[in-house]
Amino acid sequence: MIDRLALLFRIAARNLLASPINLLIGGLLFVGTIVFVVIGGLLDSLNTSMARSVVGSLAGHVQLYSARSKDELALFGQMGGDPDLAALTEFPRIKEAVEQVPNVKAVVPMGLSGAVITSGNIVDRSLEVLRGLYRAKKGESSDVRLKDVPPDELDRRIVSEKAHVRQIIEVLRGDADKAAKDLLDQRSVDPEQVAALAKVSSAAFWDDFDADPYGALEFLENRIAPQVTDTSLIFLRYVGTDLDAFQQSFDRMRIIKGTPVPKGHRGFLIADLLYEEQMKLRTARRLDKIRDALALGRTIATDDELKRYVRENRTQTREIVLQLDGLKTQEAVRQLQAFLDSREDDLDALLTRFFDVTDETFAARYAFFYERLAPTLELYRVRLGDTLTIKAFTRSGYIQDVNVKVYGTFAFTGLEKSPLAGNTNLMDLMSFRDLYGYLTSDKAAELKELQRERGAKSVAREDAEAELFGEDSGQVVAEATAGVIDVDKELSGTGRLLHQEDLVRRVYTQQEIDSGVVLNAAVMLEDPRRLDETMQALSAALASAGLEVRVVSWQKASGLLGQIIAVFRVLLFVGVAIIFFIAMVIINNAMMMATIQRTQLIGTIRAIGAQRTLVLAMVLLESVVLGLVFGGLGMASGAAIVAGIGLKGIAAPNDVMYFFFSGPRLAPVVTGGPLVIALVIILFVTTVSTLFPALLATRISPLRAMQADE
Amino acid sequence: MDAIVSIRDVTKDFHLGETVVQALRGVTLDVRKGDFLSIAGPSGSGKTTLLNLIGCVDTATTGVVQVAGHDTAKLKERELTNLRLNTIGFIFQSFNLVSVLNVFQNVEFPLLLQNKLSAADRKQRVVSLLEQVGLHTHQKHRPNELSGGQRQRVAIARALVTEPLIVLADEPTANLDSATGEAIIDLMKSLNQTRGTTFIFSTHDHKVMRHANAVVRLADGKVLGRETPEEAVAHAMGQEVPREARAP
Repeated sequence: MIDRLALLFRIAARNLLASPINLLIGGLLFVGTIVFVVIGGLLDSLNTSMARSVVGSLAGHVQLYSARSKDELALFGQMGGDPDLAALTEFPRIKEAVEQVPNVKAVVPMGLSGAVITSGNIVDRSLEVLRGLYRAKKGESSDVRLKDVPPDELDRRIVSEKAHVRQIIEVLRGDADKAAKDLLDQRSVDPEQVAALAKVSSAAFWDDFDADPYGALEFLENRIAPQVTDTSLIFLRYVGTDLDAFQQSFDRMRIIKGTPVPKGHRGFLIADLLYEEQMKLRTARRLDKIRDALALGRTIATDDELKRYVRENRTQTREIVLQLDGLKTQEAVRQLQAFLDSREDDLDALLTRFFDVTDETFAARYAFFYERLAPTLELYRVRLGDTLTIKAFTRSGYIQDVNVKVYGTFAFTGLEKSPLAGNTNLMDLMSFRDLYGYLTSDKAAELKELQRERGAKSVAREDAEAELFGEDSGQVVAEATAGVIDVDKELSGTGRLLHQEDLVRRVYTQQEIDSGVVLNAAVMLEDPRRLDETMQALSAALASAGLEVRVVSWQKASGLLGQIIAVFRVLLFVGVAIIFFIAMVIINNAMMMATIQRTQLIGTIRAIGAQRTLVLAMVLLESVVLGLVFGGLGMASGAAIVAGIGLKGIAAPNDVMYFFFSGPRLAPVVTGGPLVIALVIILFVTTVSTLFPALLATRISPLRAMQADE
Repeated sequence: MDAIVSIRDVTKDFHLGETVVQALRGVTLDVRKGDFLSIAGPSGSGKTTLLNLIGCVDTATTGVVQVAGHDTAKLKERELTNLRLNTIGFIFQSFNLVSVLNVFQNVEFPLLLQNKLSAADRKQRVVSLLEQVGLHTHQKHRPNELSGGQRQRVAIARALVTEPLIVLADEPTANLDSATGEAIIDLMKSLNQTRGTTFIFSTHDHKVMRHANAVVRLADGKVLGRETPEEAVAHAMGQEVPREARAP
C-alpha cells in the first residue's frame, strides 16, 4: 500500500513541472498562500496586541454586567453613546461567587459614564486670586498658602494681579474696538458690554477699587468675565471603580503626574493623554507636538501640519498674554528681549517673534519656553491637587455634580499615546455612585437621619394613596413660614456630613466600597488561555448563586472595537477566497485538459490492471502534491516574511494605532493558526477542483490504450 | 484440448451514429497454452478487436469468450481488471510506457498493483527480467532516453513481470524498423519457449508471421483459417501455398 502510494507520489511529483499550466496554478497557490499567511499572521499579532490593550486598559479578560440590561456592554463605546446598563446591586455576592471559580485572579467593580467639567476662564481665575489676596489682607482667608505671607508682600501681589486684570481689559478693549470697526452691522455690538469695558478701563474705577474691593470684583466677575470666551466645557469619560483594586489588577497602569488616590479615599485620576491634549496650554501642547514630530524626522520646512502649529503659536499668543500679571509680564518681556536680542517692549509682539520657529531655532526656543516662560504660566487648566466639580446627568435625568480632588494623571504602559486608552479617566466608586444618581452609604445615612429628625415614615407604594388622601391622612400640606433660609444653620445638621472637606478626607472601608451599585465588573484571570472554560464556570457559579449576570469575553465587551479584527479577517478571507476560486477554476480546467491529454496513459494503466480507485487517487494526488509543494513554499515564504517583519516591527503610523499595536511598534510573530488554515484551504481547493477531472479519468476505458495504436 | 483462450461464435458490433459496423462476425478460435500465435490480416480485418476481447478490455456483442477458464461476459468490471492484472500481459504498438517513470519503475508498476511481493522480491524479479531483455544496465533510464526497440523490450518485461499466462501484443513491431522488429519477435519467441507463456500477437507483416507457431488469418471480421506461418506468408504475398507447408 505504501509502495503504491509512493509510486503515485512519484508520478505526481514528476508531473509537477511537466506542464506550464502547472506553474501557473502553482504560482496562484503560492501567491494566495503568502497573502493568507502574511496577512493572517499580521491579523493574529494585531489581535493579540489589541487583546493586550483591551484587557490591560479597561476590560480585564472577562466582563460581568446585569442580564437585565437593555444594551450590550460596549466599554469603548458604541453607535449612539454609552450602552444602557442595568445596575448590579449585589456586587458583594457577585464578588464572592466569582472569586470561588478557579483561574480567577481578581474582580474589579466598575461603572462607566460620561460627565463634563467646566474650566473657568482666565478672568475668573485672576479675580479669584485677587479676592483671595484681599481676604488674606483682611485676615479672612482660609487658604493655608497665604497664611504666613507678610502684608507688604500681599500688597505687592495685589498690585501685580490688578495690573494683570487691567492688561486683560486692555486686550478686550482692543478686540471690541476692532470688532466695532470691522463689523458692517453695528447691531451685533452689545452697548452694555461696551459701557462695562469703558467703566473698568477708566482710572476712576481702579482708584476707587480698594475702597470697595468686593464690589469692584463682583462687577468684574459679572460684567467682564463673561466677555472672555476661553471658558470651555471638557467632556470626560470616566470609570468609577475601586481605584486600589484597579491599580493592582491592571498592572500596566502607572501614575505619570501627581500621586495615586490614597486607599479608600474619594479621588479622580485624569488620563494623561487627555490632560495633555485638552487641559494643557495650547501653545505648549503645540510645541510638544512639534518636538515629537521633529524626533520622528519630520521638518517644519516641509511639513504642512508643523507649519500650521508654528502659525497658530505665532498668532495665538493671547492665552499667554492674558495669563501674565503685571510683574510677570515685565519679567517675560525682559527675558524675551534678552533671548531675541530685541528692544521691542510689547509682549505680544515679542511672543509672536519668539514662536516663529524654524527647524534650526526650535530646540533652543523649546528649552527656553519650558525653562523660563512656563514657570510663570498655568500650563494646565486643571491643577493636580485641585478639587474638580464634575457634572453629569443622573439616570433619573437631573443634573448632579460632585466635587472630587484630582490626585494625578495616569497612563497604561505602551499605550501612552493611544487616544482609545487615553480618553477614559478614573474616579472612586463613591463619587461615581453620587454622580450616577445611586444611593451611597453617605446618602443612605443622610436620608435616615432626615427621616428620624422629621418623623417621616416609610409608605409602601400601594398604600400611598390611602396614606396621603385617605380619611386618616391628616394634614398633607405643611404650614409655610416666611423668612430667609439660614444656610449655616441648615448646613450645621445632617447636611454638614456631606460637606466637601469631610468627603475629601473620609476613608471608606472595603465593605463600603463594595456595597452599593456598580454597572459592570472586570474579571482578571490567572491563565488567559483558559478563557472559554473559565467563562463557562463563571456563568455556572453566578447562575447557581441566583445572580442574573451576563458573562462576556473582553472581545465582546469591547463593542465595535472588538469586531474590527473580525471584519479585517472577513476581508482577508474574501480576498483569499477570490484568489483561490480563480485557482480552482484554472486547476479544474488544467486537470480536465491533462486528463484528456493522458487518456492513453490512463487507459494503459487500466489495461495492465489498475482499478478505477487507483486512477482517482493518482489524479487527485497530483494536484494535491502540486498544492502542497507550491502552497508549502508559500507558507514558508509567508512565515519568513512575517518573521522578517517581526524582527524590525511595524511602527504605529498614528496615535490611534498605538492601541491596536499595544505600543509604538507591532512585532508580528508566526503563529500556527494561519499555517494550519492555509494547509486546509490548499487541500480543499486542490481536492475539490480536481474531483470532477479525477472522476472523468476513472471513466477512461482500458480500450483507449489499444485504440491509440490504430 | 488444453485451450487457455476459447472463443465461440463471437460477434462484435460498433455503432457509429446510425451505422452498425460488424468488426467480428462469428469468430470461433481456441488458443492452446504455450502457443506463439499470430493473428494476421489486413487493416480493419478485426485483429485488434479480437485481441481486445481476449485481453478483457472489451466484451463481445454475442458469443462466448473464455480466458483462463473465465467466461468474461459473466465477470464484473473489478473482476475483469483483476483478471487482466494477474493473467494477461500487454505489449502495445506504441509501447505505452509511463514517461515520468524510469525503466525499473515501469517494469515494477504491475507488481505494485498486484501488491503480492516484498520490495526485495520485486526488485529481484524486475532485474532478472531486465537481464533477460538485455536492459539491466538501463534501469535508471527514462523512456525518452531509449530507442524504439529498447522501449519495446521494456514493454515486454513489463508484460511478463507478473508471470501472466497470456501475453497479448498488438502489432508489436509496427513502429520498429524490420531488423529491430525481428529481434523483438525473437525475444518474445525465446521467452515463450523458456517460460512457456502463451503469446498472441497481431501483425500484418509476413516477416513477423514467420516466427509464429500458427497464424490465424482474419478478413472482414471472419477467421479464414488457422494456417502454418508458411501458408500465411504465401497468402499474404498472394502466392500458392506449397502442399508441404499447408496446415493439417
